[in-house]
Amino acid sequence: MAVALVSKSERDYIKTSLQTASPLRADGRSLLDFRTVLLETGVAPLANGSARLNIGKVAREGGGGTDVLAAVKLEVEDVESGDGVDGGRVACSVTCSPSAYSHLSSNALDELQHDLTVILQQTIAHRSLHPSNLTIIPGRKAWLLNIDAVVLADSGNVVDALFMAARAALWDTKVPRTRPVEYRAPESSRATEKETQDSMDVDQGTSGFDTRDMARDAADFELPDYWDEGEVLHGRERWPICVTLNLLPPIHLLDATLTEEASIPLRLHLMFSFPPSTPPILQAIRLSGPGELDLAYVKSCITDGEKYARELFSALESKLREEDLRRNTKARDRFSSLR
Amino acid sequence: MSSRIEILNDGGYRSDGRKQYELRDITIDLTQQGTADGSAQLTHGLTQVLVTVFGPREAKMRSQTLHDRAVLNVEMSVAPFSTGERRKRSRADRRILEMAAMIASTFEPVVQTNLYPRSQIDIYVHVLQQDGSLLPACINATTLALVTAGVPLLDFVCAVTGGVHSTSPLLDLTTLEENDVPHMTVAVMPRTRKVTLVTMETRLHVERFRELFELACEAGQTIHREMKYAVKDRTVALVNAMDAGSKGGAADDHDRDVVMDDRI
Repeated sequence: MAVALVSKSERDYIKTSLQTASPLRADGRSLLDFRTVLLETGVAPLANGSARLNIGKVAREGGGGTDVLAAVKLEVEDVESGDGVDGGRVACSVTCSPSAYSHLSSNALDELQHDLTVILQQTIAHRSLHPSNLTIIPGRKAWLLNIDAVVLADSGNVVDALFMAARAALWDTKVPRTRPVEYRAPESSRATEKETQDSMDVDQGTSGFDTRDMARDAADFELPDYWDEGEVLHGRERWPICVTLNLLPPIHLLDATLTEEASIPLRLHLMFSFPPSTPPILQAIRLSGPGELDLAYVKSCITDGEKYARELFSALESKLREEDLRRNTKARDRFSSLR
Repeated sequence: MSSRIEILNDGGYRSDGRKQYELRDITIDLTQQGTADGSAQLTHGLTQVLVTVFGPREAKMRSQTLHDRAVLNVEMSVAPFSTGERRKRSRADRRILEMAAMIASTFEPVVQTNLYPRSQIDIYVHVLQQDGSLLPACINATTLALVTAGVPLLDFVCAVTGGVHSTSPLLDLTTLEENDVPHMTVAVMPRTRKVTLVTMETRLHVERFRELFELACEAGQTIHREMKYAVKDRTVALVNAMDAGSKGGAADDHDRDVVMDDRI
């Protein structure tokens, strides 16, 4: 994404070493190796779900790597009068920290932010992935699901990191339980309503708690007091992940660093969803950078991409289940052992 | 609002169980973040800020440089999920610009900018969570980030908020308390005992000011101790790492990381 300052000769050097019979990368990885991915969920206590993800942190010195923080926040929207949609809606936003792109001007940063937001929004907010439990009261109230991602540091492969972080945050999201409530005006007050309409005498004997307006089958909801924070999003197994293939025909490489990204401008982003017990779905595809590609080559890239995405998906899935366990069962056990 | 929450109960405890002058937990993480020259993540109670420092370096815009000293450029971003109610603030939000300007003016007399003419020091403040005392957390984290970046400072800057509930002063307010009681933020330089920032947006009786101000200055010293420990720990770790590197390299071909691990 961000073009790091790489000289022509360095670019050439990186390309040549990648195109040799036994390809070489600066950090010793093979072409299809990912850097270490670190993930923690539940990092923002005020959000309904959150995750922090790092790709490529230097083991002992503790610095470096692409760092993304994603959080999901739910908001109640009115479908009738507000801009809510029946069944709820999903909105994504990506903020890039100026410290991640310190060489960019603020205008360029805005453009980059917008670009990443569009990629995330178009893929994640698609109808096919929409969770079914965002409705509070059908036709009246619905949840607005906001996903906010912050890119704190970028050392390459930011799109994959964004999708993984978003998936983890969505996985972690708990939708508060709601119970619909209906206000019914007593029969007597309905009678007085008729009367007041006729006589225009508003102050006539109703109680202090005036429900005349609500009497037209008004419905609201309440949040029952319950021991957990709510239920998980339906279909959370389906949230997509992205693999970015950096294309240098005839080879491609995964998880490119900044310098590699700068030397290989052509990229193919593939977003896959792996619903349980059904074949994988290609949710989105995006080619960025200059150049042209053979159709047969793109097809082979998609087949390969699916394989990589599957591996990445299962690794992420097992980590997310482990995090679930850590945050729920283990935390509860620890708490009960303290008491 | 004020009728529902008891700021200070009869037993002398506040809504989160603290005593009047008790500060919240401070956790300081000085590990490197990304490509920044210096960074600090400070968690103060439930308020969490991350500050990264770049520089002194050549300014992106040459026209903004000064011929005799460095320019402090503070940019602040508030995560939309940092508050109870989601709110996306743009970079040009007035409130954010004001805070950034306050941080810049707090540090202008402390950073030895005259050593770096025609250059720029970029300070990026990220607010990840907020629960009161936001400005002090930002200032403290900025001090630590500048220290880790090796920018010459005259002294630490330690900030704290103080408020007055009827006649009893309180230190280190949460959002709940900030909404309710008159409060001010004080930033002190603990060694030279100078004050670089006093700001107040609410009204406070003039007779209460002196007591609160002195109390806040004293609390600044306590926070200074905490910050000093964090910086010292990191420096010791760095010095040990340097030792290990030179000795381990001379002796034999040990992996440097292994040697480092033994020494710490």
